[in-house]
Amino acid sequence: MKKLPIAIALCAVCASASSYAEVRINGFASIVGGKTLDDDTTLYGYDNDISFKNESVFALQLSADLQDKLSATAQIVARGENDFDAEFEWAYLTYEFTDELQLSAGKMRVPFYRYSDFLDVGYAYRWVRPPQSVYNLPFSTYEGLSLLYSSQIGDWDSTLQGIYGSYDGTIAVVSVNGDTELNDIAGVNWTLSYDWFSARAAYFIADTSIAIENDNATAVALNELETTLRNAGFVDQADNIAVDEDDGSFLALGFSIDYNNVLFDAEYTEFEVDNSALAKQTQYYTSVGYRIDEWTVHLTYENNDDKHEKSRYNALPAVPDLNQGINLVLEGSKAKSNVYTIGTRYDFHPSAALKVDFSRFKNDITDTETDVVAVAVDLVF
Amino acid sequence: MKKLFLAAALTVCSLNTFAEVAVIVNPANANQIDANTIKKIYLGKSKSFADGMKVNPVNQDSNSVADEFNDKVVGKSGSQLNAYWSKLIFTGKGTPPEKLSNDQAVIDFVSNNKDGIGYIDSAKVTDSVKVIGKF
Repeated sequence: MKKLPIAIALCAVCASASSYAEVRINGFASIVGGKTLDDDTTLYGYDNDISFKNESVFALQLSADLQDKLSATAQIVARGENDFDAEFEWAYLTYEFTDELQLSAGKMRVPFYRYSDFLDVGYAYRWVRPPQSVYNLPFSTYEGLSLLYSSQIGDWDSTLQGIYGSYDGTIAVVSVNGDTELNDIAGVNWTLSYDWFSARAAYFIADTSIAIENDNATAVALNELETTLRNAGFVDQADNIAVDEDDGSFLALGFSIDYNNVLFDAEYTEFEVDNSALAKQTQYYTSVGYRIDEWTVHLTYENNDDKHEKSRYNALPAVPDLNQGINLVLEGSKAKSNVYTIGTRYDFHPSAALKVDFSRFKNDITDTETDVVAVAVDLVF
Repeated sequence: MKKLFLAAALTVCSLNTFAEVAVIVNPANANQIDANTIKKIYLGKSKSFADGMKVNPVNQDSNSVADEFNDKVVGKSGSQLNAYWSKLIFTGKGTPPEKLSNDQAVIDFVSNNKDGIGYIDSAKVTDSVKVIGKF
């Protein structure tokens, strides 16, 4: 229901301006079929039975250029994983002060990663999906403001973006469904590019609250521990487990090269919610690609390492049982994994590409490997 | 309709006789525009001419003139350009130049719009437009 008012506001703007607005319709789609290669394994939403639904997306974008430097944009996205139910994922107004400066307001994408802005537009990148070890935050949009300043510094193009807003929704962190509120999301995203080279840095903070529901064993154990600590009067220790109005921060650094036919990308990210049971996450990937006419071949290595600082352990030595419980929760939020992906993209049509990716995911904690193969057709229209 | 047939005939001819791409502006446009500026205009990075007038570029619709221009001036293939623009379109950061179907349509557009810029087969240049570069 939250989405409705934005949609109505946007329609109202479009309708009142319809006498002179030029409305453009663009769209993109990805049809992806994939499966894991072994019984009883799951990865990226796939299991051992082939699915054409899991990663498939169909989207339409409506943009209306109103007069006097004002435009309205809405993106309606239908995802296979949601039974192709169409949702307004973006809906915003943009006012262009000058060629260099524009302000947008509404529901937009948080520019966490280099490919965030066009995450769903498979046609815009070489993989079937961007490296998931890095592209793993469980939410991607926010409601608020975005100020974009594009300028030229000598031969370099600079794009500086500042955002402010909030997010309110249900995401899967520890529990499958956790009511989440991110308030005062604020941050900057700066990209510098020179013809074949581009570098970017982004930093965001947010006041983070996640209600962990008792919908799986880990969540139940975590909630029980928090309650026990609180009832026993260990309020600080309990607060250090709960994700309640804690400071969240996100850092991303990256660069990419597209020189002659050689492609190179690397991104590094850190995500942390202070004083909570959530472990600090450190991720990166590096990827090389080579273009031969209409073909691109690529190889990507990703790495993910989630762990708590050593100082967080043994927080309650006076009560061995509870101390042990805290250590178990901290230890349980650890993760360590890496992924190799090899793939190819074939531009068989001016607006469509065929891709095949093979990924091998290795979980270093359980020492298990999972393989996924996916074939995609991505188009823009 | 007559125009359309003529256009179709011209397109067929241009496939055989194609030599050079001429970048054209309105004769009233006195701005100095070099190859790098043209590239920036066609990548949406420059939105105004040096004198401050908004630039209004047009493309040709996936024909051999467009391929030649994309290759020689912009330095990207049709697919690469499509990928480039899809990044801007779907983030509300830009709109690609409108596509016209042939040289004559581009000449008509540029001669009628003071802020227009386009490209055509250099053999098709007429007095109603000004050539700022041949590639």
